[in-house]
Amino acid sequence: MSEAIRALGEPAAAEGSQPCEVDFDAVVKVYPGGVRALDRVDLRIAEGEYVTVTGPSGCGKSTMLHLAAALDVPTSGTVRIGGRDLSAIPDLSSFRRNQVGLIFQLHNLIPGQPIIANVEAVMFGTHRSGHERRNRAMELLARVDLAGREHRLPTQLSGGERQRVAIARALANEPRLLLADEPTGSLDPAAADLVLQLFERVRRRGVTIVMVTHDPGIARLADRTIYMREGRIVEPGL
Amino acid sequence: MSFLAYMLRGLWSKKVRAAGLTMAVAFAVMTVVSLQVTSSGLEQSAAAVISIGKADLTVAQKGVSDILSSSIDETELARIRAVPGVSSAVGVLVETEKVSASVPLFIEIGIAPQDLAPFGVTVVAGRPYAADATNQVMMGWRAASTFGLHVGDRFHTNGTVYDVTGIYSTGNAFGDAGAMFPLVALQAYNRVPGMVTLAFLKVAPGVPVTTVARRIDFRLPELTSIRTASQFGRADRNLVFLQAAVNGSTILAVLIGAVIVGNTMLLSLFERTRELGLLRAVGWTRRRTVGLLLGESLVLALIGAAVGVCLSFGVLAILERLPTLSGVLHADFTSAAFARALLTAVAMTIIGGLYPAIRAARLTPLEALSYE
Ligand SMILES: Nc1ncnc2c1ncn2[C@@H]1O[C@H](COP(=O)(O)OP(=O)(O)O)[C@@H](O)[C@H]1O
Ligand SMILES: [Mg+2]
Repeated sequence: MSEAIRALGEPAAAEGSQPCEVDFDAVVKVYPGGVRALDRVDLRIAEGEYVTVTGPSGCGKSTMLHLAAALDVPTSGTVRIGGRDLSAIPDLSSFRRNQVGLIFQLHNLIPGQPIIANVEAVMFGTHRSGHERRNRAMELLARVDLAGREHRLPTQLSGGERQRVAIARALANEPRLLLADEPTGSLDPAAADLVLQLFERVRRRGVTIVMVTHDPGIARLADRTIYMREGRIVEPGL
Repeated sequence: MSFLAYMLRGLWSKKVRAAGLTMAVAFAVMTVVSLQVTSSGLEQSAAAVISIGKADLTVAQKGVSDILSSSIDETELARIRAVPGVSSAVGVLVETEKVSASVPLFIEIGIAPQDLAPFGVTVVAGRPYAADATNQVMMGWRAASTFGLHVGDRFHTNGTVYDVTGIYSTGNAFGDAGAMFPLVALQAYNRVPGMVTLAFLKVAPGVPVTTVARRIDFRLPELTSIRTASQFGRADRNLVFLQAAVNGSTILAVLIGAVIVGNTMLLSLFERTRELGLLRAVGWTRRRTVGLLLGESLVLALIGAAVGVCLSFGVLAILERLPTLSGVLHADFTSAAFARALLTAVAMTIIGGLYPAIRAARLTPLEALSYE
């Protein structure tokens, strides 16, 4: 497997890449029900850093990731990616498409589409032609060791294989920032291991990675681990 | 893979739902097209009367419920001939007769023998009848072949046995499926002495037809001039009502279809909320996700339109064979019918798809992702 997993991600000078440090400045997120999911979070993640976020369920990990991916807006405070205030970006679709790769724990794929189409679909509306999209998707699927299975439907794959498709898709538009919300949360240890190896490859290409996990073993693989509790970043062991 | 291919692949993965929506559109289109084709067929049949003669202008009584109940008397005919610019006017009586159970509506045309040539009738076999004959007839060539008649044979209609003196051709299917009688004899049989149904006019060289038409409409307000089959509704109130009924039914069919399309799209939207949220989360624009939903429906609507047109071919083939309608209904697939099919399908999609599209556009990625 490991030799099959070739280099993932792109060289740091990849086309369209933008600086991608993550900067949370006094970020508060209160959900409509009144839940204070993030309570004045200050956080800086440098370019190329591999960071895991851990903490008990409901402490605000996913909320933080969603704000970084511009899927939601903070109640107050500022989220900056690569120095750009997300609230000032007019075209968030383009930001999501080109600047971040996003991986969820489950339901990452469109069930009715073969996995190759799942990967190609995120490249609609980019500079790539149909032919280039197809080639790139083939190449990415080969890199996550799914060559020959491009035309399978998601239901015809194992959970680990589906997460590898999600990684391939997340990298399709050469983002410099990869955000993953418990990507191994529902995998058996062997499948989880393959997925983590892929993250390792991506990281070596200089892509910044923020991965939410509540597995302490996985959290330790990163350059740095951020601990959260009740919407705040805390010191380990607290 | 193109966006269209992606869309089609998605539709294929939901075949049953796609087929349901297609059938809904197909039935609405079938209804609309069948109505349209039937009514335009009826209109054509009736309008064909005015196209039998080679005239510049046809004059009928205004406001009659159907053109065959138009009546023009000799004085009016004389006044028509006196209108400046009219070079000749041929008075023609058109009646229908039930010849047999299988021929419930047989066209009988009363016309004086000297008017046959100006009217554009060619005698292809035998000779014309005499002006004062009471038991002579000329058969249209289609009618002759239907009844298996030749010159010298006998033809039974109007309670009389007629000698077939000739076979004629007018170049008009409707006229050639009937028979011609001496005008006086047919007037007598129908007890309308001196009356004709229509007057067929030739306009003097150099005079615009429209000018003459206006003069007739002005001088003889109880009559109306008709130049083309489509103007026919001016004289025939039945056709006006028929067209109104067809339009009403079309609107109804479109609305019912739109509700079905809208309902199906809404269900599909609920079912695919998570999918749409995911696509938005990975960078699809609002426009693209809405475009996917609408595009899918449009593809299905177009397939439905095609299926609907095919179904209406079948339905009309059956209708045409029904004894009560045979001979009356001539399915007439005009380009207008196909345009209507397309318009129906597209209108249904747009009207039905509006609300689901707005709902889809309002979805935020996160809401959609957490949708159960
Ligand atoms: N859309 C939402 N509406 C209301 N409350 C929410 C919503 N999403 C998350 N929460 C609440 O916010 C808190 C943090 O949630 P989340 O960020 O998902 O935690 P984690 O990912 O660490 O388990 C929880 O109490 C959760 O119930
Ligand atoms: Mg979570």
